[in-house]
Amino acid sequence: MAGREFGIEKYRRRQRFWKAVESPYVVHFVLFLAVFFITAPLVWELLTSLKTNDAVYNLTYLPRNPTLESYYVALFDRGFWRAVVNSAIISSASTVAVMLLGTPAGYVFSRYRFPFDNLVFTFILFTRLFPPIGLVVPYYRIMQQFGLLNTRLGIVIANVYLWLPLVIYIMRNFFITIPRELDEAARVDGCTKIQAFRHVVFPVVLPGFAAGTILTFLYSWREFLFAFTVSTDLSSMTIPVATFLFVGDTSILWASMAAAAVVATIPSALVVFFFQRYIVVGLTGGLKR
Amino acid sequence: MSEAYRDVPESGLGRVKRLVSDVANDHIRLFLLGPALLSLFLIFIYPVTFLVWTSMQRTLAFGVAAEFAPTANYEAMLSDPTFWNAAEKTLTYSFGSFAVTMLAGLVIALALNRVARKRLRDTYTTLILLSWAVPLSIVGVTWRWMFNGQLGVVNKLLLDLGILSSGYSWLANPLSAMVVVVAADAWSRIPFATIIILAGLQSIPQEMYDAAKVDGATTFQTFRHVTLPYLRPSFFVAGLITWMFAFRAFAIPFSTTGGGPAGATEVLSIYIHRFGIELFDFGFASAVSMFLVGVTLIVAGIYVNVILEQISEIEE
Repeated sequence: MAGREFGIEKYRRRQRFWKAVESPYVVHFVLFLAVFFITAPLVWELLTSLKTNDAVYNLTYLPRNPTLESYYVALFDRGFWRAVVNSAIISSASTVAVMLLGTPAGYVFSRYRFPFDNLVFTFILFTRLFPPIGLVVPYYRIMQQFGLLNTRLGIVIANVYLWLPLVIYIMRNFFITIPRELDEAARVDGCTKIQAFRHVVFPVVLPGFAAGTILTFLYSWREFLFAFTVSTDLSSMTIPVATFLFVGDTSILWASMAAAAVVATIPSALVVFFFQRYIVVGLTGGLKR
Repeated sequence: MSEAYRDVPESGLGRVKRLVSDVANDHIRLFLLGPALLSLFLIFIYPVTFLVWTSMQRTLAFGVAAEFAPTANYEAMLSDPTFWNAAEKTLTYSFGSFAVTMLAGLVIALALNRVARKRLRDTYTTLILLSWAVPLSIVGVTWRWMFNGQLGVVNKLLLDLGILSSGYSWLANPLSAMVVVVAADAWSRIPFATIIILAGLQSIPQEMYDAAKVDGATTFQTFRHVTLPYLRPSFFVAGLITWMFAFRAFAIPFSTTGGGPAGATEVLSIYIHRFGIELFDFGFASAVSMFLVGVTLIVAGIYVNVILEQISEIEE
């Protein structure tokens, strides 16, 4: 459009058109559509989960007699509660491990030079770009060798591989935003290097740490590929995997599957609801250069 | 920090603590970085080596020791039409998801950026982030449920609205099954793209817009000559990540269609899983994995270089 000549009338008409496109009505209409598109599947799962497994077969939008029966069937008859416990344990353990390993590593990359430091950092980014599906077969076989199939530890190890590089990267970017003078002042005051990190710099980076923790927890909570490969029985199965318990040979318990989906979504939805700001900071902070 | 270790009584334990702390301080890089690097080495380098090694072995025969045959699996892969089918489906899937996600992400981010009230904008953001929080396998089963031929709510809606006259089996038709999995994939990726693009929009200095206004630029010209160039880096980053993750997607196609009907949505990751985990052909699955890894890394490498150029262009 640039450089082309056009009359003042045409200019005004175009200006009016774009003003209309930008008007609050259009903006809110777009956002309303987006929110509808995003939430409708979730609402539909919620509505389905309030039906019984039989009631699903005469299709209505709203449950006629809302009941929590399919939750009961899912959680207790099918043992889904064990997956809930597993998911809670595995996600928490993965998050603790990843943050404990990743935070100090990110700090080192933000503060110190050492031989091949750029190469090491590139390697860490590389492990992040590497498609995890490529490692599924080796992981399966290695875990078979070490007897880690069907254990929670096996899934935690996979989670550490998946999210540690990400957390090192994010934490480094957060540490970089904190001036070095802060470390130096602490050193002048008589802190050791470790103390400067623990007691002076770390408290300042807490929002970033929170963002990393929340992201790792949510990602571990969502993880499917490795959890599905490594565990095939209820003793270690996580929620995303256990949802398939309701797929039978001949029929699917749709309402119980919906109940399982709701149970899987509620914790992460709550985290998003309460920590939206940290998630946004974490997602974008991890990309800033 | 004030209770430095001069306050610690010099008992045996105190001395050990002090020694540990001294060593840690003298080798702080190793002390803080070592554990992470060691773990990454064990959980990444070892399996990758194993992958390369396995891909050069014939492993199908049961009870027989694996036989070293460096190119056998690759040859089998390249001459297998089902492999090329999977590769083609992967391309369709990843680019479809990429296109839908980035377009929707851009439109939603532009709209969000127009909402002046912070409270309202945060509410929208939270609601849009919800789909990002849903485990991907749950996304799959949800969409499978919505598009079910007899009991699906989509069919019911379309019937009630008079758009369809009889129920349609979405997941039984190759084309519509692909459309459904791509839509499900995009559904779960839109929040991420939106957030990244919105951050890019918000980093554009207001003066640029003021200057454009003074120059009498139309809204569209402003968008083209101010917004888009500034947006390019974040658009590229969001695009690469979206494409890369869609290229390796497993959970959504697996739990929506399981690769069906008749391989119409069998992307490479499902293909790898089928041969490697279900059929125990580790060598062949590893060779296919190597192919997928190679393609991802080549594309990512080119892309990252392009992004870096773009960024230096803007900073100049």
